[in-house]
Amino acid sequence: MMRGTTGRNISGRNALPLGLLVLVLMPLLLMPIAAVFIFAFRGGPGAFLRALSSQDAQFAFRFSLLIAFATAAINAFVGTFAAYVLSKYRFPGKRSLTIMVNLPVAIPTVVIGTSLLLLWGPIGLLGQMLQPLGLQPMFSPVGVLLAHLVVTFPYMLGTIKPLLDELESTYEEAAYTIGASRWQTFFHIILPALRKGLFTGTLLTFAHSLGEFGATVLVSGNLRLRTQTAPLFIFAQFEAGNIETANAVAAALALLSFVLFFFLFRYTGERVI
Amino acid sequence: MSIVLDRLTKLFGNHSVVDQVSLELANGEFFVLLGSSGSGKSTILRLIAGLLQPDEGQILLHGRNVTHLPPQERGAGFVFQNYSIFRHMNVAQNVEFGLKIRKISVEERARRREQLLDMVGLAGLDQRYADQLSGGQLQRVALARALAYEPNVLLLDEPFGALDSRIRTQLRRSLKEVQRRLKVTTILVTHDQEEAFELADRIGVIDRGRILETGRPEALYSRPRSLFVATFLGAGTILVGKAGSGQARFGSLSLPIPPESAHKDGERAQVLFRPEQVVISEEMPDSGIPVVGQGKIISRIFSGAFQRVRVKLPHLPETRQVSPRVPFGEEGLLVDATVPAETSLNRERVWVGLRAWHILEEPHLRMLLYVGKQEPEEAGACLGFARDLSGRINAQVTLLGVAENRESADELDRLFSKDELVQSFDQPDIQIRTGNATEHLIRMQQDGLYDLLVLDAGSCTNTMLMELLECCTTPLLVAREKRKELQHILICTAAGEPGKNDVRVGGRLARRLNASVTLLHITGNGDLSSVAREHLDRASATLRGLDISGAVRIRQAATPAEGIVAEAGEGKHDLIVVGGHGPRVRSLFKFDDVTFQVLNGVDRSVLVVPVEEE
Repeated sequence: MMRGTTGRNISGRNALPLGLLVLVLMPLLLMPIAAVFIFAFRGGPGAFLRALSSQDAQFAFRFSLLIAFATAAINAFVGTFAAYVLSKYRFPGKRSLTIMVNLPVAIPTVVIGTSLLLLWGPIGLLGQMLQPLGLQPMFSPVGVLLAHLVVTFPYMLGTIKPLLDELESTYEEAAYTIGASRWQTFFHIILPALRKGLFTGTLLTFAHSLGEFGATVLVSGNLRLRTQTAPLFIFAQFEAGNIETANAVAAALALLSFVLFFFLFRYTGERVI
Repeated sequence: MSIVLDRLTKLFGNHSVVDQVSLELANGEFFVLLGSSGSGKSTILRLIAGLLQPDEGQILLHGRNVTHLPPQERGAGFVFQNYSIFRHMNVAQNVEFGLKIRKISVEERARRREQLLDMVGLAGLDQRYADQLSGGQLQRVALARALAYEPNVLLLDEPFGALDSRIRTQLRRSLKEVQRRLKVTTILVTHDQEEAFELADRIGVIDRGRILETGRPEALYSRPRSLFVATFLGAGTILVGKAGSGQARFGSLSLPIPPESAHKDGERAQVLFRPEQVVISEEMPDSGIPVVGQGKIISRIFSGAFQRVRVKLPHLPETRQVSPRVPFGEEGLLVDATVPAETSLNRERVWVGLRAWHILEEPHLRMLLYVGKQEPEEAGACLGFARDLSGRINAQVTLLGVAENRESADELDRLFSKDELVQSFDQPDIQIRTGNATEHLIRMQQDGLYDLLVLDAGSCTNTMLMELLECCTTPLLVAREKRKELQHILICTAAGEPGKNDVRVGGRLARRLNASVTLLHITGNGDLSSVAREHLDRASATLRGLDISGAVRIRQAATPAEGIVAEAGEGKHDLIVVGGHGPRVRSLFKFDDVTFQVLNGVDRSVLVVPVEEE
């Protein structure tokens, strides 16, 4: 997306379109992000660090990272498996299944949160039956993880499946005739061909999980020191009027996202979006 | 024997893509399977490698039955058309992959890799990745990779298909050399006859899932047994004439028939002569060589070392030309010849003689006969009709009986084997099936095994006819045995492509039956359009080319079907030939269809000629 400006001299001729682009981007992207950092440091670095080191903020950060790691790890496996099945096997209803697993992208995350509540919540279809057993998946870390798995599921699938589709079937057949078992073929031949996709997909899943808000706010119950993720913490602090604290955490979250994005850019040759 | 295929069959749906293929390969042999796309040649290769499972038959590699083993346990080296080089591995890793899987030591792996890369001409490129190699180099890597683990057999699926011709030539040479050095039994699949000639110790020509002929390249090229192989393996002129007292006669041209392909007197005889066996000269050739005649050069194409000349000669009486195909509406004889490029042919009229030629084995026409459920006398009459017809056109008959269940099938079998009429056929092939007769008929004719389908009009229902008309690609004769002589044939024809085939097929049947022909054209208003007039002129010329004089009859009628039915009712015609149109609008206005109305409207036998498939 930035290819157009790299390695080309800005002369009078193309200064105009570039200027226009920056003019449009300023209020849309650059200025809001700048505002976050300006507000975060308005009270000086001391206030910034204090805000970050509060117990609640610390928990929210660690919890967010933990959930994001878990989500990325689980979906890396499940997503790759789903992509393999959807790409290499032929079965009736394959099209509908492909659409179904990609659905979370199209559905608003709040709706996903609601539907999870209606299924697993205390009065939900399955939750009702679990309640007497003392099991309560909603309003707990498990619930948050569940919501994140659902919301970010298509990202892994979306990066791996095109790679598998491109891999001609003779690629595997060549390995079979050479003598490699199914497992050896998957491990030595298919998986290495997916390396880039695995990396991109995992990072993408991680980043999305880190910023997830809509579904999380519903299924977590927003319980501080228990299910409050960083985005929820920012929102809660804003509502309570602690704008500096909110900004400090927001700035830290933005910084972390920048780093992730940088890696994505670096290792995938800019083909992120 | 390192590869033995025993009656190998593979079905895709109801269609057999590989049909009872048997083959034996000697150790170290280089065998090339040659066929057009869709002939089933790649499927055979995949069956041997274990990438597909056969429905019937056995595969033995070096005496070991591998029919049900997975590909990993067969030890076959496979080279794909698209190379399928592992992109995340470099050349060395690719080549060593099979050895690594087999847990061979690092030193041994390196030794073997170096040896192979050297052999295929890639020494020093071990560290390259696929995207740093050209197509030809990739295929060399694929070859080295397939040979690294010392496979029992080497299988190559159109390995040079994606490469340009110069690289292809180089690769062919390397492949042949490597194969000779390693003495590994090899099967290569290709559609390129030049490639087959260059590489093969032995070639197998495959068509529609069956291996038609196998043999050394020179033998197959100059002495093929069948028409298909003769035309598939290269250009040449093929003529059909008659045999008589040890000679094959094509009008004034008379060629001795060698004892190994002896013909009965009066039988059809086919001769093949390749372009390089034809002698073109401005003067009448010496008495030593047979002379086809004097003709006019109609085209000359320069192609490097020689030039291709096409000569048009006057039609030889009692001779039909199969190849090169004479355009519709012409009656002359076309002969292709190659002469050295420096030959100057100044005169337009030249003499055509033969340096060498080859008489093909006489293939019988194959006729599929179905006699449905009906009264014994009627069935007998139909059988009698079919027997007389098959005798006159020299056809081999397959008799299909369809029963509802196993028991009645056994009953039918007993009936057929006792029946005097059935036994009076010349070597009948009796097939008893259970189930739906229409489905069996459609499936059996699908593979192009039969030249003619014969049904008894009394035994087919309208639905059955409808389905057959829609699905059959073989001429369909609906027999009404009242007029069994078939001395006069009415060919109903309209301008356009289907109309051409009616004339060709109808004319050939008339030629075999020695029957007279009337060409019928129906007009709505009595006027003959210029297109129709031209079509009829060319149809007459085509018939003359078959030694048939066809009378032309033009009739006015409201609809074509009406006109045909009326004409059939008045005339002395014994057989009505109409065109079918294949699976088209028929499904919409089923019973309005001309062919169908004719079938139902006339009381004669009707031959339906399907649209020709290219």
